[in-house]
Amino acid sequence: MRLRTAGLALVGLTVITIAPALRAQETTRSVWDGVYTEAQAKRGEAAYRLNCARCHGVALEGIETAGPLTGARFTANWNGVTVGDLMERVKVSMPNDRPGTLSRSLIADVLAYVFSVNRFPAGKAELARQTELLKQIKFEATRPAARP
Amino acid sequence: MRAISRSILPLAAVVGLLGWTAAAHGQSPKLSLVSEGTRNGQWPSYAGDVRGSKYSPLDQINAANFNDLEVAWRFKTDSLGTRPEYKLEGTPLMVNRVLYTTAGTRRAVIALDPGTGELLWVHGEHEGARAANAPRQLSGRGLAYWSDGTEERILYVTPGYRLLALDAKTGVPVPSFGVGGAVDLKKDDDQDIDLVTGEIGLQSAPVVAKDVVLVGAAFREGFTPKAHKNNKGYVRAFDVRTGKRLWIFHTIPKPGEFGYDTWLSGSAEENGNTGVWTQMTVDEDLGLAYLPVESPTNDFYGGHRPGNNLFGETLVCVDLRTGERKWHFQLVHHPLWDHDISSAPILADINVDGRAIKAVAQPSKQGYIYLFDRVTGKPVWPIEERPVEKGTVPGEWYAPTQPIPTKPPAYNRNGVLPEYLIDFTPALKAEALELTKKFKFGPIYTPPLVSKVDGPIALLTLATASGGTNWPGASYDPETHVVYASACDACLTRVGLVQPPSKDLSDSDYVHGFANQPFRISRGPGENAGADATPPPPQPGSGGGSAFVFDVQGLPIIKPPYGTINAISLDKGTILWQTPHGETPDAVRNHALLKGLSVPRTGQSDSVGTLVTKTLVIAGDPQFTTTADRPRGAMLRAYDKASGKEVGAVYMPAPQSGSPMTYLFGGRQYVVVAVSGGPYSGEYLAFALPAESAKAGPTGSR
Repeated sequence: MRLRTAGLALVGLTVITIAPALRAQETTRSVWDGVYTEAQAKRGEAAYRLNCARCHGVALEGIETAGPLTGARFTANWNGVTVGDLMERVKVSMPNDRPGTLSRSLIADVLAYVFSVNRFPAGKAELARQTELLKQIKFEATRPAARP
Repeated sequence: MRAISRSILPLAAVVGLLGWTAAAHGQSPKLSLVSEGTRNGQWPSYAGDVRGSKYSPLDQINAANFNDLEVAWRFKTDSLGTRPEYKLEGTPLMVNRVLYTTAGTRRAVIALDPGTGELLWVHGEHEGARAANAPRQLSGRGLAYWSDGTEERILYVTPGYRLLALDAKTGVPVPSFGVGGAVDLKKDDDQDIDLVTGEIGLQSAPVVAKDVVLVGAAFREGFTPKAHKNNKGYVRAFDVRTGKRLWIFHTIPKPGEFGYDTWLSGSAEENGNTGVWTQMTVDEDLGLAYLPVESPTNDFYGGHRPGNNLFGETLVCVDLRTGERKWHFQLVHHPLWDHDISSAPILADINVDGRAIKAVAQPSKQGYIYLFDRVTGKPVWPIEERPVEKGTVPGEWYAPTQPIPTKPPAYNRNGVLPEYLIDFTPALKAEALELTKKFKFGPIYTPPLVSKVDGPIALLTLATASGGTNWPGASYDPETHVVYASACDACLTRVGLVQPPSKDLSDSDYVHGFANQPFRISRGPGENAGADATPPPPQPGSGGGSAFVFDVQGLPIIKPPYGTINAISLDKGTILWQTPHGETPDAVRNHALLKGLSVPRTGQSDSVGTLVTKTLVIAGDPQFTTTADRPRGAMLRAYDKASGKEVGAVYMPAPQSGSPMTYLFGGRQYVVVAVSGGPYSGEYLAFALPAESAKAGPTGSR
């Protein structure tokens, strides 16, 4: 785990050349593996309030057709894809009133907060902002059976 | 004003004109293709016909071969706007050998070859700031077709609230309609609306019948409106040839008009919304139009509008040519629950105890079918005024009774009772009760309440804002007189009221909110999300308050079924069958706490569009799932319409987000459905049987 974290930090600088080397780890890393930090989620909460809560609700419950960001309806929407897909969707279409204007690092913070509310565990490394790296992290709705 | 029209119209662009082939087929269009409806294998109106049916008699695709369906073509909509759209809700038309629909964040109109999906032409309007400010953006739900036997037109409403008439052959605006092909709907609306910033728009399709175009209006969400004196949602009719306004119906009456006195203390002047944002329905033979009117401002607080508030949440029948009111029935007096009327009324020629009745059936968020003689407005079965609980919100006015249909019974849950909470295991039920102990339960029409930190925090409601049958509406089988309605049984809305912290945020005494959470302004679906949206300054953080998760161990707090399809006999006033619709969500199916339990299919918590054919009811799953035998995606399902038994299902890469439609082209029956959601951007999918087997099946006349 420590090795992987270090590797990711490095890759942040040289995405294109090193990313293929991470392929072997793709299948083992998911949102249940501590992919963000508590401090990042804290930052993300403030950013969420500022940019997202108007439509998705302070409790992430959704309002009419702005979908919930917690619970079964949310996790069903993303189960089986990657956090990179989630990052891209947010980057392209959110927030509703000024799509495309949020920075990737701010979105990463918001995702960290959303993950914390959904009870995905925090870890030691922050969630990266690069889609290429986030595509290595699988979004799984339910906690996998006990992992070694 | 002039600056706006100048800036829009020169930019109005026919982006591509790739030719049109109908003329080459040597067909002379018949008169009133719209009136013909689906009987000859076409789909010339949003609901197939202008009667709200969503029915086609085609039967090449049936129970025996539904599983053989293949994707015949697909049309990705990403490039029809400045970025992809993830909420594609359109239902195409197919008429005179061309398929038409709206798509993309620009709400472009496209014409496609019905057999291949090849793009024939595309038209987009660049409306700039006007579109960026619009309350209802994105691709919208569809368009309308008109022909006099020679000329053919496509009509639609832009995000910036302009009614356009396009030449169906080329996509070019028709110069003789309005000004340069457009009617500015913000003008001549019996109220002053700023052409750029004024809040009004529409995402639904106009209706065209007998050379008359009907257009409604929509606004921002009414949870926390900035001003209760918002613009009003009048209904207007226009001449399809010239764009001339024929009439206007004041959904909030003017002084001296019928219903004005249902707004006490002159409050008709002080409130807005009350539009028709969903589809309207027309009886072309009787010359009558049926208008399903939504809620007034605010959704959950009516202290600024004492009285019953006609024509809020009222089904209104008017003369198609004059707009004169023939009859009306208010479904909810003094609306306080955001029940709107969310979908098209359905015309149904039924037979009750040997008596033939020309009826109109109104599906609802409440799960009631309100059924009337459509000539007289008299209920087919008694609709009783029953006493309801009076609330305690300061300044609120309460209607003492509400109309409750005696038949048919409600087809979805329309209140929240403790027995609706999750009960897979006693422990889960106990946790749900603990989670809701500071919330109020109650049957339908339990009044909203002022939120208190120590409780009650809110009223728990089902079948209100998002519940029951929403905008996709229901389908009707004219042969068997059965309505097929999809309904959400678990779309929970917590209704609490708080005082806005300042009059700058809202001038209402109360708006939707929770005492234990910071105040926020609700935004509408698609608001400020279209191709021309520009970034406004960020709002200051609201600060404080703690988020709470309203799930039980990651499971929905309301027990299954989460969503259903319901068959309701209008002749008998009974529910014939109900079936959960949609694969059990992954989070439920794979949940560790449910291992070893036998959980029947739960369905999914959404209201989806249905299509009824000669033998089938067809609808797609509204949510993504991943199962052992297929990848992540959703299924397009077919049910035996007589029994409700699922007889087939085919894979789609994303959930259904529009309503399915069907047509016959080149001897093959196609089913087209809009899909999108999650990371999957909007796409129209066309299904058909493999060409070799389609030839063996029965065919229609085209």
